[in-house]
Amino acid sequence: MGFLKNKSCRQQITDEHRPCQDSGRREFLKKAVKAAAIGGTAVVTGCQAPGLLGSKEEFALQFQEYFKAHYRLMTEKERDATINRLERLAKLQKNVDVQISSKEAMPGVLFGYGFNVTRCEGYMECVSACVRENNLDRKSNTQYIRIFEMEPGQMTPDAGKGKFFNEVPVDGRFYMGAQCNHCDNAPCIKACPTKATYKEPDGIVVVDYDWCIGCRYCMAACPYYGRRFNWNEPVVPVKEITKKQHYLGNRQRRRGQMEKCTFCVQRTREGRLPACAEACPTGARIFGNLLDPKSEIRFVLENKKVFRWKEELGTDPKFWYFID
Amino acid sequence: MKTPKQKKYGLATVLGLIVILTGWNAYSEKSGVVQTIKNAAAPFDNGSVESVPPAPEDTVLAQVRYQGGVFRVETRKDKVKRFQCSQCHNNQPVAIANAVETAHGDITLNHGYKVKQLACFTCHDKDNRDVLITEKGTKVDMDHSYQLCGQCHFRQKKDWIGGAHGKRVSWWAGERVVKNCASCHDPHAPRFEKRWPKTYSRPFTE
Repeated sequence: MGFLKNKSCRQQITDEHRPCQDSGRREFLKKAVKAAAIGGTAVVTGCQAPGLLGSKEEFALQFQEYFKAHYRLMTEKERDATINRLERLAKLQKNVDVQISSKEAMPGVLFGYGFNVTRCEGYMECVSACVRENNLDRKSNTQYIRIFEMEPGQMTPDAGKGKFFNEVPVDGRFYMGAQCNHCDNAPCIKACPTKATYKEPDGIVVVDYDWCIGCRYCMAACPYYGRRFNWNEPVVPVKEITKKQHYLGNRQRRRGQMEKCTFCVQRTREGRLPACAEACPTGARIFGNLLDPKSEIRFVLENKKVFRWKEELGTDPKFWYFID
Repeated sequence: MKTPKQKKYGLATVLGLIVILTGWNAYSEKSGVVQTIKNAAAPFDNGSVESVPPAPEDTVLAQVRYQGGVFRVETRKDKVKRFQCSQCHNNQPVAIANAVETAHGDITLNHGYKVKQLACFTCHDKDNRDVLITEKGTKVDMDHSYQLCGQCHFRQKKDWIGGAHGKRVSWWAGERVVKNCASCHDPHAPRFEKRWPKTYSRPFTE
């Protein structure tokens, strides 16, 4: 029996080594460290899958994940490699087949959002759809979108009632949503010490989760309360995991990482509407390409009374509120 | 009488102002997302997004133009139970079960709320039940009911054509497909009903 165990151990190790055919100092170091780590686990777990630190394959994959570059600095090959690792990890840890995309921004596209304050009735369908789509933590009830019940005359969601739970719409009140404004001149990007958060060419402000050190400077810098922090390891029921993911979007986050609305990058880069805009039952949410003069968002900007929240701060948001 | 010194100061102030204003003007024009949008005049080829599937089958080309182009709306006729209406409404006696429901007893009319309640024949054609009829007497196909709704709700119609009212179906790219009026509103009681929100929001601070 012991002999068999040993044999399977060896088999697994050689299998893991096979995909790494690059040579070079970095690869060599990685291999050496990994081999040492596997040896270590073999001692700890007695070569029994899955042990305290997970199976050996899982451990090796996680170890390799520590040495990857910032998403923007990765070559295409490195991106594919990390995506393969992440997909395999999801399979090993949760037994789900996720597809992680690394789709680039389309040329000639700048995403913008319009929120119709008159039309929103506070049904909160958008919030629910967002939670499902983006695999948000159910344990701490993380939500990217907040809807505020506002008294007439109030102009900023800070003044509204964020904790309403009553039959909506209430007569004489209006509803205003708040989420990441995807500023063109974003204060969160300036605040980030590791450059983990940055603006993509299509205007989406994203976070490279694995480069986030969890300092929460961006959370303090954001005037729109658009960022969420993972205080605990996110919990998502396996059945409810959205399997179509994007590296910068709704893939699995870890404890101690910052996350935020990404305009559903995994959907919008494919040409789909964000989950919130698709779920809205009243059509209060308009999404489109700001650089296309025939897009709906451009019609809104040119024909409706629009305003931006805290425009005086100079953050230049790409999220407009408008009234009918 | 101004002294030469005063003149000098005046000139300096004017020159300074010109410099500041030109600088500010140049700065404000070159930066900002609003300026980027204003500069973007070239149309974006929505068909270039390859991942977008062709328009769904239950859509028709709208009879109105959208910013110089055509677009599609969701159909209505295939979603109306028991269409064609002339199956029953054909001046022949009909014997059916559940007559109250089948003869539209389940419809609550609440349109024109408080101001002027509408009747069946405000919108439906008396002579041909398969089509709708405007105040002017133009017959309107049920798939193009926006032509009928737009006679009173002309502001909403204008916004809907442009894209500020109503919503697109699933895709921002590709051919423009939008919901029809009756896709979201019940034409007999168009106001959205009060109901409980799907979830609740977390406050800024706890």
